[in-house]
Amino acid sequence: MSKINDFEHKMGAHCETGTLTSLFNYAGLEITEPMIFGIANGIFFGYLETDTFPFPTFIVRSRPGQIRKNITKRLGIKLFEQKYKSVEKGEAALDELINKNIPTAAQVDFFYMDYMPEWQRVHINVHFIIIAGEKDDKYIVSDSYYPRIAELSRESMRKARWAGGHMPPKGFLFYPVNVPQKIDLKKPIIKGIKTACRNMIGLPVPFIGVKGIYKFADKVKEWPKIARDTEHLSHEIMKINILLEDQGTGGAGFRFMYASFLQQASEILSNSDLADMSKRMMKNGDEWRNISYFAAKIGKNRDLGTDKLEELSDLIRKRGDEEKAFFTELKKIIK
Amino acid sequence: MTVDDKKKLKNEIKELIIDKLKITHVTADEVPDDAPLFGQDNPLGLDSIDAIEIILALQQNYNVRIADQNLARVILESVNSIADFLEKEMVNEKQ
Repeated sequence: MSKINDFEHKMGAHCETGTLTSLFNYAGLEITEPMIFGIANGIFFGYLETDTFPFPTFIVRSRPGQIRKNITKRLGIKLFEQKYKSVEKGEAALDELINKNIPTAAQVDFFYMDYMPEWQRVHINVHFIIIAGEKDDKYIVSDSYYPRIAELSRESMRKARWAGGHMPPKGFLFYPVNVPQKIDLKKPIIKGIKTACRNMIGLPVPFIGVKGIYKFADKVKEWPKIARDTEHLSHEIMKINILLEDQGTGGAGFRFMYASFLQQASEILSNSDLADMSKRMMKNGDEWRNISYFAAKIGKNRDLGTDKLEELSDLIRKRGDEEKAFFTELKKIIK
Repeated sequence: MTVDDKKKLKNEIKELIIDKLKITHVTADEVPDDAPLFGQDNPLGLDSIDAIEIILALQQNYNVRIADQNLARVILESVNSIADFLEKEMVNEKQ
């Protein structure tokens, strides 16, 4: 076995959309990562305060796997998808796919991707990579977070595919079995935008969409009451930076990627209003990035007085105001 | 870009990083062009929070937006890689 020769490795902004882009492109469909993100209405906000999480947290995109489900449904793509309880069967299935020259995506624990620098590796069970071959008993891996094709030992792959913990991968594999070569993207784009607007401003759920941003703005001021001590609070405040910017979130809570989607959508739909909205979303992304930086700075310096948390809360609230106005306007444009 | 221009750009980048991150224990001359900026192989030894400050500083000073965090990791690998990125952006700007 060896590398699947005609497979082209690409970096991506996010592992799920990056993996799907590479697989679809390999299957002959020309589509960009932001287009997949936008059609699948990946943009989102949710403030989560449940027993599942040891401390309140937030999400800036739809839940893992949802982008895959939405994009395949809206573009009429059929995937092979399979989880494997048995390590033996799961490894054999992957080896067989490599033998058949089929680049295959796997869900893995990011921590075991030992080609990444050690300081970047954390346990995240919903990382996606593509296995694009095997050489000298090592898997050839295309990871959208890594600039080059990488190699991973069978042992590391085994640990990564059958890691325990929250949302375990359970050996999950998927690859496209039927990809239309030419798709009119107009309807899927409109559907994706409408659903994104509904999720951001139309759901009667107090912690989802813009309501979730406002809740985050209110609640962050109360975090000192629920944190164990200053160290814990600073850790949680710095995590705002990690969730918005790091761990492959596409930058500024995915807002930059959504801006790129709107730019491409404006060309396909010949709608210049969407190009203006793209520029506006780019500026919104810059402001989310400023929140990320502000949170990182006050967290790192343990500068967590009431005044600073009020300032952080105000910055977040302004994003709520902007996104409320933005998605209201976007809904009118796409009607 | 001439060799001298590139050298000047690299020096500007080093000064910018030192200035923005308020680094006092290292001068621009002591920062290697090719060593990783993050981790222990560079006298600056930066962390991921410093990374976002550099991204914002590059945007402010050179009008370039590094929107993708994975790409940012590649661009911010060393002074050389930042200079290569800015050179490319400057060429694109002119076209």
